[in-house]
Amino acid sequence: MKRSLDAADERELVRRVARGDRRAFDELYRRTAPWLETRLRRRCADPDMVADVLQETYLAVWRAAASFAGDEVKGSAVGWLWTIAAHRLVDAFRRRARQAELPAVHPHETFVPAAEDEVMAARVGQELEQALSVLPPEAREVLRATVLDGFSIRETSVLLGVPENTVKSRIRRARIALREALS
Amino acid sequence: MTTHPTLAAIDRYAAADPGLDEATVWSLEVHLEECADCRARLAGGTTDGSRALIDRVAQELDREIAAGPAPARRRWFRPAVRHRWAVAALLPWVSMTISVLAAAALLGHWMPSLPSFVLLVAPLAPLPGVAAAWSRRADPAWELIAGTPAAGLTMVLRRTAAVLALVIPALAVTGMAGAGTPTALMLLPSLAFTAATLLLGSLIGVRRAALGLMGVWTAAVVAPSLAVAELPVVLEPASAGVWAAVTAVLAALIFLRADSFRRLTSY
Amino acid sequence: MRAVSEAETATTIHPWAVQAEALQVKAGRHLAVDGLDLALGTGVHGLLGPNGAGKTTLMRALATVLKPAGGQLTLLGQPVDGRADLRSVRRALGYLPQHFGFYPRFTVREFVSYMAWLKEMPKAAIPAATQRAIDRVGLAAKADARLKTLSGGMLRRAGIAQAIVNDPQVLLLDEPTVGLDPEQRLDFRELLRDIGTDACVLVSTHLVEDVAAACTEVVLVNEGRLVWQGTPTQLTAQGDASHAGDSAAERGYSAILRRSRAEAAR
Repeated sequence: MKRSLDAADERELVRRVARGDRRAFDELYRRTAPWLETRLRRRCADPDMVADVLQETYLAVWRAAASFAGDEVKGSAVGWLWTIAAHRLVDAFRRRARQAELPAVHPHETFVPAAEDEVMAARVGQELEQALSVLPPEAREVLRATVLDGFSIRETSVLLGVPENTVKSRIRRARIALREALS
Repeated sequence: MTTHPTLAAIDRYAAADPGLDEATVWSLEVHLEECADCRARLAGGTTDGSRALIDRVAQELDREIAAGPAPARRRWFRPAVRHRWAVAALLPWVSMTISVLAAAALLGHWMPSLPSFVLLVAPLAPLPGVAAAWSRRADPAWELIAGTPAAGLTMVLRRTAAVLALVIPALAVTGMAGAGTPTALMLLPSLAFTAATLLLGSLIGVRRAALGLMGVWTAAVVAPSLAVAELPVVLEPASAGVWAAVTAVLAALIFLRADSFRRLTSY
Repeated sequence: MRAVSEAETATTIHPWAVQAEALQVKAGRHLAVDGLDLALGTGVHGLLGPNGAGKTTLMRALATVLKPAGGQLTLLGQPVDGRADLRSVRRALGYLPQHFGFYPRFTVREFVSYMAWLKEMPKAAIPAATQRAIDRVGLAAKADARLKTLSGGMLRRAGIAQAIVNDPQVLLLDEPTVGLDPEQRLDFRELLRDIGTDACVLVSTHLVEDVAAACTEVVLVNEGRLVWQGTPTQLTAQGDASHAGDSAAERGYSAILRRSRAEAAR
């Protein structure tokens, strides 16, 4: 039994969790929690918040594994874990933003839209990773949140504490800078 | 990605080394999401603080899981959620329709002197099902559903198709069983009436449209035909072409009214 | 990693999430909303008004299920009156009707994921989004219970869960606190404020206290028109001891209503 757990990959573990297998859940936690914790900690300095997000994420995995495994959803179990954690992280940031102060009612700031072109490729590869170093830190930050972590523009705005339109303009600028660096 | 990052890089990442440059972190994170071996290596290099946090959360999880209900098993025998409401809402109406058709066929068999009952009621056969498919009464979540992006003509047509998929074969079988009833005259009028219900329904609500059309047809065609014991001219074999044309025109008009199926008024 | 599309990074140029100008909406033959002007941005907005003021009709028009009879209505910068294509706006919308029907044999999880599917969320995202919405309304322990076995307050929370499952940018809740006990109402206010950090939330209620406690802004309608708009603090400043009500907010509410009725009579 122990051996079969060792041999199972994360996908198989999630499938067993879906059947209510507590040991498979513990194994999944043992294997993935250090990775998830490290990744979260790089995005959130507050260890209590990281602990909360970690706990909520794995509870959600325990509770929703059946519908994830059952619907034959394509995609990796580890990627699924990250998606859950990412949304919970934004929720935690929302909670903190609210506790800090009640947000004033403000209209979105108004800008003239800049004309822009192509879609940023999902698969960027080594080159892009190298080119990242030429970007200013705040541009790297938005690219990491949107492209690498899969956050929406809105979520990125909550996470970084800057208005949505600022996130958008930083992405546009980052894209132009990257294109120059890559050409 | 086949090239694994160095253990030193993983250790520095795990230790939250701020000196690690962004490009390395980026490629590490991409790699770690895909590589179980490197995740295991990472687990060996985490800081004491991280390990303590992970243990603490593990204990919390133990407590929460023990307190909460066991996760629901997936029930394989249940149809997909999105089809299930249809079974509950449509089946009663469709089975009622089929029994009425069967009764009409029997009646025609016993009283050959009267005009074919089956032929007279066939045009109305899909209407109870169609009315149930897009109705406030048959679909309790109508207001929720009406506000979703999926609501609209496509959804109405999909539900109507589900009704027709059950009713049309029943009509065809009944038509073939009763000798002398042309199948085209069994099917075409029912399609025309389905289209008319949807078109009228876009203005006044599908259910009301179905009820209205059933009333009009009964009063204007079924009752007089039974009174004079003669099939009306609209159900003579020669009218089949007209029915086909009417169906086509009505169907085309429905598409012009497509946007009204996104609002509550069509319910 | 995901692709970030061009459309996503286009600058938002609409100043308000919800904007109505001289809006007219019919309830049956009667114009329940008649010449209403309204602009709402990010935050939690409480919609107050006496019974028959047109609150539910306004909510339905904002939820795009009723077609405006006149005037202009824009949601997230897109017109939603006339023959507009509503699909993309609706994906960013959450709506809880006042009387919401449900399928009694569905479990909470099935109900919320069915709604997520109707809201055209990516199939792979639905299980996690469903669980998150259920957790946020505090219904985790009942996630796999059938709806028919739930109490009124739990049903209401299941309704709220389906409204927020797609992380809406505009969230419309019509009388969401009906059936909630005092403790649940406190939790619900917290949830509203969380959502209001980056979304436009409009909550219709007849409980002036809820509005004063949970909202960043108060919108007061009467006879189909906007009567007053301001912060809860400004609302409490409107009334004095001579006005009816058990709290400062309630006195402010009755003061504004009385004033607007007097103006209408003139």
